[in-house]
Amino acid sequence: MGLLDYLSTHTYDEDYQTVAARRRRAASGGHGPTRPWAVRGAVAGLVLLAFALLVVTAGTQTSRNALALSDERKDLIGQINTRSAAAQQDQARIDSLQAANRHQARQVQSDEAQAHELLTRIRRLSVDVGVTPVRGPGVSIVVDDAPDAGSDPRDQVLDSDLQQLVNGLWQAGAEAIAINDQRLTSLSAIRRAGSAITVNDNSLGRPYRILAIGDPDTLPARFAETSGGQAWFDLQQQVGLRFQMHSRASLTLPRASTTLRYARPEHVGGNP
Amino acid sequence: MIAIAGLVVGIVLGLVLQPDVPLWAEPYLPIAVVAAMDAVFGALRAFLDGIFDDKVFVVSFISNVLIAALIVFLGDKLGVGAELSTGVVVVLGIRIFSNVAAIRRHLFHA
Repeated sequence: MGLLDYLSTHTYDEDYQTVAARRRRAASGGHGPTRPWAVRGAVAGLVLLAFALLVVTAGTQTSRNALALSDERKDLIGQINTRSAAAQQDQARIDSLQAANRHQARQVQSDEAQAHELLTRIRRLSVDVGVTPVRGPGVSIVVDDAPDAGSDPRDQVLDSDLQQLVNGLWQAGAEAIAINDQRLTSLSAIRRAGSAITVNDNSLGRPYRILAIGDPDTLPARFAETSGGQAWFDLQQQVGLRFQMHSRASLTLPRASTTLRYARPEHVGGNP
Repeated sequence: MIAIAGLVVGIVLGLVLQPDVPLWAEPYLPIAVVAAMDAVFGALRAFLDGIFDDKVFVVSFISNVLIAALIVFLGDKLGVGAELSTGVVVVLGIRIFSNVAAIRRHLFHA
């Protein structure tokens, strides 16, 4: 409170009182007032002019600033509005893009599942067709000409003998057959070319080694019951051709290389 | 009379010329106006008391304005410009109110 008390009691400019007291002393001492009233008024007028100029300048400046500020504010508000509208549009775009993205992701997932299914199918079918190597249990058969083969063609293994053998194996439940590493497919032919037997257009040399994948327990017995099996039994017994059959726990059959030049798959609607 | 004429001429000049205040001087202007008001009301009170002196008026006016500007400048440099401005305005405001009260007593004898 001391400061406020001091302020309210010492409001008067003490200079005026000091100067007045000095002048009073000078006047009582015989000296008159130094300046006439007109000069004093002129000086005061000049100072007041400066004061008025100051006040008006400050006022106009403030109002001008306020004007500029409000203009700026309006401008900023406009900018905010346009920008937030743009942001809203962008947000909507983001939303729609995200929805599209989700949709596409689902599409990709189902496509992948479909592709997986197709690959599985292809793998299974290619085992059947013979364009992939396969492995499994089965039997291995070695057939050869009679030991004392003469010029009689009957003493040798003929293409028809191999055909009967293979047909008998198919009948007995073989799932994949290869003769001397030539895999049999739906396009394979066993035929005679000159003095050699060819399979898949490859000449085979004796002895003929036939690998058949199937149930090793039932395959020999069922083969013996087929007409091909019985024909070979006769050949073995009466002509003397060599025929040996062994069960194998694991056989590996190579793939066949087949090229289709004319056949094209017919479109199968609804069941790719 | 001459004083009032000076006041009027100053107002008219300011309105007509609309002088541009340089950017660096802008923060000092309001506080300078308050300081000048203090000097002017002090002078008016002295005039009514019959002890007005033109030299004292000129000196007090100029020194008030300069010191107010200096205080604001220092405050700005020290980072307490707003607080110092408030202090100056409070002190000068109290003086102005007291002086105006004294002038009122003189004029209305109340």
